Amino acid sequence: MSDLAPRDRLGRVLSKQGVDRPPVICTGGMMNAAVLGVMEEEAAPKLPAAHFSSEGMAALAEAVHHATGFENIGVPFCMTVEPEVLGSRIDPGTLACEPKIAAEAYASSAAVDIQDIRTLLKSGRIGTVVQAAYYLKRRNPEVPIIASLSGPVSTAASVVDPLSFLKELRTKPQDAHRVLDYVTRLLIAYAEEVARNGADVIAIGDPTATGEILGPKIFRDYAVRYINQLCDAVHAAGKPVIVHICGDMSRSREYLADLHCDAISTDAKVNLVRLKEDYPQLNTMGNVSTTLLEFGDAEKVSRTTERLVRDGIDIISPACGLSTSTGLDNIRALTGAVKTTRLN
Amino acid sequence: MPETPEDLHEALATAVLELDEVLTADLCNKAVALGYDAWTTIEQGLIAGMNRAGKLFDEEEYFVPELLIASDAMYAGLGILRPHISQANTIHGRRVVIGVVQGDTHDIGKNLVRIMLEVAGFEVFDLGRDVPAQAFVDRAVEVNADVIALSTLMTTTMTQMSKVVSILEEGNIRHRFKVIVGGAPLSQQFSDRIGADGYAPKAAQAVQLAKQLTGLVNAAA
Repeated sequence: MSDLAPRDRLGRVLSKQGVDRPPVICTGGMMNAAVLGVMEEEAAPKLPAAHFSSEGMAALAEAVHHATGFENIGVPFCMTVEPEVLGSRIDPGTLACEPKIAAEAYASSAAVDIQDIRTLLKSGRIGTVVQAAYYLKRRNPEVPIIASLSGPVSTAASVVDPLSFLKELRTKPQDAHRVLDYVTRLLIAYAEEVARNGADVIAIGDPTATGEILGPKIFRDYAVRYINQLCDAVHAAGKPVIVHICGDMSRSREYLADLHCDAISTDAKVNLVRLKEDYPQLNTMGNVSTTLLEFGDAEKVSRTTERLVRDGIDIISPACGLSTSTGLDNIRALTGAVKTTRLN
Repeated sequence: MPETPEDLHEALATAVLELDEVLTADLCNKAVALGYDAWTTIEQGLIAGMNRAGKLFDEEEYFVPELLIASDAMYAGLGILRPHISQANTIHGRRVVIGVVQGDTHDIGKNLVRIMLEVAGFEVFDLGRDVPAQAFVDRAVEVNADVIALSTLMTTTMTQMSKVVSILEEGNIRHRFKVIVGGAPLSQQFSDRIGADGYAPKAAQAVQLAKQLTGLVNAAA
């Protein structure tokens, strides 16, 4: 089993079959490894241009894979694809800074203008990501291609002013549900399209959907409900799904076990060993601190990574979004440690 | 409806705590109509209620949506009572310039800190989100601020914080301002490394930190 291809190893873990060692991945999207070092070292397309070209996106994703040692290829490199399609204005960012929302499309949930999903699917950069996944799959049959989507709550809070949206989750639940239903229908159509065209795995990053912001009741009533609709649709399309939730889950922790995902990725604040003890059915993923990766030394990164491997964490990954100034040496220390740590 | 000023203050604090903006406004209008002292009504009613909401937030009974709705109720009440504050009442006058650093537009945390600082009597100058380092310094100099409060949620933009400190040092005005930092990826260690005066992991602790650094309370308290 020691010569498992990366695609098979990740596939086996996500379907709860035995493997020689955990895969080490970085999903793309909010957690992407398109750090400055990759663009300096490799003759790769540069950001921000690569956000806007399918060939550029695919080639940069391949360069990330080669330079870092992560055992997957992930696209895109931001969380703004979906909000942009839904009408928010984005700032494309720079070489060193990812794109972000410059202005949300709507001031309140009630103001959201529901549009035809099929039409939206053909607009903005959804096609760019789908086409990039297509190229990647053709060129890299042994490597799992991961398409990263922004989760329902984060997308909704990037389309409606986030402060209004967070309040309306409590004060105007009907309006908030209407927006989340709309956003989730778009995400499902997008996930189906990119799965059909090359993505082996769908990753959902929903940083706003943390229990730390929402509290347990809203996390359960909104985040779990809509993330699960998306997970179920991805499963119906025959693909596995990884969900990343940010922050210290505190009182919402128990609801992580209700998510219909094949692996749950958490922030460095969450103790994955304890999470696994409490909910043995969960596949855990994470969670090498991004602060350690940026500011620590390679030896400490290796030690931390080895501990996660020995602790039986199912998939090893950075804990959250990497800073673009994170050094390649530290990232290679992470991926290298996973590949060399021997389990007794 | 309550019969005495004390009853009204208590009802007002409860209305803010229970996120009832309409009742908060009604009670504030009643306080004005009855000629109750506006400053005391703000302090004993609105701010007391907001502080109770803040306490529930610290205890993880309330989360961000609840705190934002409570602050909407408080601001609605403040809008009614403010014109009736007598001149004799002044706040402590400490000033804070706050914003989310350049490259980042996540401002939920910054807004919570602003609300809690205002509740604690600080005069807050909110520069919004995606704010260039130089703009923090310019505004702090312009309003003669006591504290510069910097927020970011993204690891990518943390370096903007040290840029603010550098600009202050280059201008030989570092000593005039206390620089405090906050945001999910930060730590006390990071704050120490960039030469900031302090870090707070939560909104309420940021207020405590600002009070300590501006001499409103001593560090031991």
